[in-house]
Amino acid sequence: MFFLSRQTVHRNRSLYAGSFVALALGVFLLGLAATATAATVAYHGPAADTVVVKLPNADPPTTARVVLSGEDASGLQVVLSMVGVISGFITIFVIASTFAFAVASRRREVGLLRLIGATPRQIKRMVLGEALVVALAASITGAILAQLATPLVLAKASYSELAPVKLEPANPWVPLAIAVTAGLVVAMLGARSAARRAGRIGAVDALREAALEPPRIGPVRVVFGVLVLAGSIVLLALIRPGTGEAIFPLAMFTPMLLVVALTLLAPLVVPLIGRLWAIPLVAWTSVSGRLARSNVVAAPRRSASLAAPILGISAIAGSMVLTLSFAADASTATIRETVLAPIVVTAADDSPDLRERILSTPGVAVADGAIPLSLIRTDRDTADLEDAEGIDPAITTRTRTITPLTGDLGKLTGKTVAISKEVAGFGNYHVGDKIAVTFADRTSDQLEVVAIVKDALDVNPSLFVPTELARQHAPAATPTRWFILPAEGVDAAALTKTLDERLAGTGADAVPAEEWEQAQSEGMRKANQLGLILLLGPAALYSAIAIANILLMGSLQRRHEFVTARLLGATPAQIRRMVLWESSLVGAVALSLGTAITLTVGLLIRHAMTVGLTDVPITVPWVTLLSIGTICLLLAIGAALLPTAVILRHTRPSAALQS
Amino acid sequence: MTSTAPTRHTVVPTEAPALLLDGITKTYRSKAGAVEALRGVTYHFVRGSFTAVMGASGSGKSTLLQCAAGLDQPTTGHVMLGGTSLHGLTEVALTKLRREQMGFVFQAYNLLPSLTVYDNVALPLRLTGRKPRREDVHRVLDQVGLEGKAKRRPAELSGGQQQRVAIARALITQPAVFFADEPTGALDSSTSRQVLSLLREATDRAGQTVVMVTHDPVAAAYAERVLFLSDGLVAGSLDHGNPAQIAAAMSDLER
Ligand SMILES: Nc1ncnc2c1ncn2[C@@H]1O[C@H](COP(=O)(O)OP(=O)(O)O)[C@@H](O)[C@H]1O
Ligand SMILES: [Mg+2]
Repeated sequence: MFFLSRQTVHRNRSLYAGSFVALALGVFLLGLAATATAATVAYHGPAADTVVVKLPNADPPTTARVVLSGEDASGLQVVLSMVGVISGFITIFVIASTFAFAVASRRREVGLLRLIGATPRQIKRMVLGEALVVALAASITGAILAQLATPLVLAKASYSELAPVKLEPANPWVPLAIAVTAGLVVAMLGARSAARRAGRIGAVDALREAALEPPRIGPVRVVFGVLVLAGSIVLLALIRPGTGEAIFPLAMFTPMLLVVALTLLAPLVVPLIGRLWAIPLVAWTSVSGRLARSNVVAAPRRSASLAAPILGISAIAGSMVLTLSFAADASTATIRETVLAPIVVTAADDSPDLRERILSTPGVAVADGAIPLSLIRTDRDTADLEDAEGIDPAITTRTRTITPLTGDLGKLTGKTVAISKEVAGFGNYHVGDKIAVTFADRTSDQLEVVAIVKDALDVNPSLFVPTELARQHAPAATPTRWFILPAEGVDAAALTKTLDERLAGTGADAVPAEEWEQAQSEGMRKANQLGLILLLGPAALYSAIAIANILLMGSLQRRHEFVTARLLGATPAQIRRMVLWESSLVGAVALSLGTAITLTVGLLIRHAMTVGLTDVPITVPWVTLLSIGTICLLLAIGAALLPTAVILRHTRPSAALQS
Repeated sequence: MTSTAPTRHTVVPTEAPALLLDGITKTYRSKAGAVEALRGVTYHFVRGSFTAVMGASGSGKSTLLQCAAGLDQPTTGHVMLGGTSLHGLTEVALTKLRREQMGFVFQAYNLLPSLTVYDNVALPLRLTGRKPRREDVHRVLDQVGLEGKAKRRPAELSGGQQQRVAIARALITQPAVFFADEPTGALDSSTSRQVLSLLREATDRAGQTVVMVTHDPVAAAYAERVLFLSDGLVAGSLDHGNPAQIAAAMSDLER
């Protein structure tokens, strides 16, 4: 059958080119994520900045290296692993639908082979053989491109917020081998189900005039679809108040699972929603809308393949954009609730007489200037760098909300610590427990937990220690922000002005608390935006190409149909309109499903994150969301219309007669 | 239509029939309702005979051919091909039987457009795992009058030439039975004559059995017997008719 595979490549070159492009790009992305990860793994921070912490209670006893400045590549590593997951998912998804599409387009050809004596097994081998050739070529091409692009990406990533260090390319063989293997496995898995389907094509399919697929969808597919749907509903149910930080991975994986479920069930779902969207279409247009509806509804599998990449990226990107925006809303509300003081002074690192200047300003009742420090919290077998503040609880509890859930903040003196609920959860700490810590001056100590406080991580650090303890271990540290309470009867606005004047020349600024809160939220949104671009950028680019790719394949395959329609008297404009409506219909169906997923996940996340908060703003990033939808739709329409126009220009109706 | 009285028993088979249909019915079910395409056809095709199947459009001719060739399962009844019952055969066994015992020629030429004429003809042998011998391929190409066209692709041939490629492809495996559905439906009369002569030769020279669906009395006259189908039933038959007689029988039937 290899003989045949070789011969048919030419005939079906648009299908092969499409599969090749999709897979080569997927392997390129995975390879890039892998080589960059290898570079971060190979990176070791400067020795001067590194603390080696003993972990005597680990099994076996070991040591951990922690970079005190926090300047390492771990942030980048986390992002890269997420990029890898998202790109990997999109690749699997695109490849599977591309291969399925390629087989669906060759129904007649396969039927003919069956007619003249090919067994189902021979057909399967043919499809798998072709897939293997394409997959090998594509994976190796992708890996080579990834290797070429690695130095560029590392140069861009070095000294960035995520990796404030210089990264060098590491040995590429292992990561590239992983990417190539992943590409081959993904392609062969996608091809396997396509091959199985091809094997079921009967000899009569060569005789039935239209290459129509059977309308029935396999029971196995339905069962899997329902199972995955049930799985995603379980995940959706997990998105509830109290899930904590796990909510972000949930926000990432739940849409993926929903996308898989809907794609499996697509041959049932797509015609249904297609019919709905077609109602206005059929009402507005004459024959073209009607034809478009029939084409979408009568070939559910084909339509499902075309819709898949649009559904995938719109659901995943939409959910993440909405989730992060709602998370920022929740943070904004938290910040507002946490800051009690009406004035905030932000200071540069070095302004030694700031304390005196602030305290000597008339009208200042309380000034909460906490000493920021980093310390290493050591657990049984982990050592983590944590942010801490040295505070006087009597002062700080008046300027910020620090709600003790258990314990008593008044006892924060000597060798003690108050921890956030999150840290308590990490280490399973209770009031009265001792936590082993190592300070920046490399001394270690045991601190007793006196209180566990409510998380307010956008304003408060994970740990509070007494001011004296902080001074002792970080003598050079000075407060970088002050929360100021005016005395009884003093106007906050006036005091802000006075303070600002007195602080002139020190590099410090006094601003109303609302203004500071605003700036904090904006900073957070900006950081989110960067994260989104890093996480979704590659996947979005890839999906864009995949969407264009599969629709292009779709139109190129229909040359004969278009030409026959021309022969029957359809004008080129009529055919173009039909293709326009058809691709719009597929796009609209995919985007409606994507919107449904985005809304479900977004609203559940919002509910989970805002319980217990009052006055939470609602920020829906309309521009971003609408852009995602518009770009998907335009790509789909453009990629379907362009080849149609070219085909119509370059063929005469008589071509239909030459079979 | 005197000659259409049950003639099923007039030709007494001297040996096991090449193809036997026993009480075949076929009902297509779809959302639009059920269609009874065949309503009980019993017939045997004698080895080495050339039979034409005629009938109005929608009378079940194609369905009959597809059931007889094992391309589709009859709803009830069974088909015997050269002593083998098709009933209960696995898809693989059916496929093997098809590629060893049957040849197909259809109105649409059904060639693989990416393969050359040579490769199209050699394909059935390759599918059986045999390496086609050059001289065999060239012999059948000569036989259908396509010498020198081996390297062309189907798009570079006329309709009649493409149909002859399809016949060559069917000939190469030396099948026991040829199934042809409107093989001349898309051809002009002189190319039709060439194609029909080739089928005629297959029975005369090689003793192969030909079952050909057609609506053209001239084409049907190449067969020694014409079987008339009406509403999914055998309505009669005519032996050694000339085109005028066959046309008359047809219009009788349609009345
Ligand atoms: N795949 C099918 N599904 C449903 N009905 C069919 C199918 N194929 C044929 N029919 C119906 O069966 C009847 C006989 O069809 P066919 O055998 O193709 O007729 P003929 O070849 O004599 O014109 C017709 O009414 C046709 O509409
Ligand atoms: Mg027919």
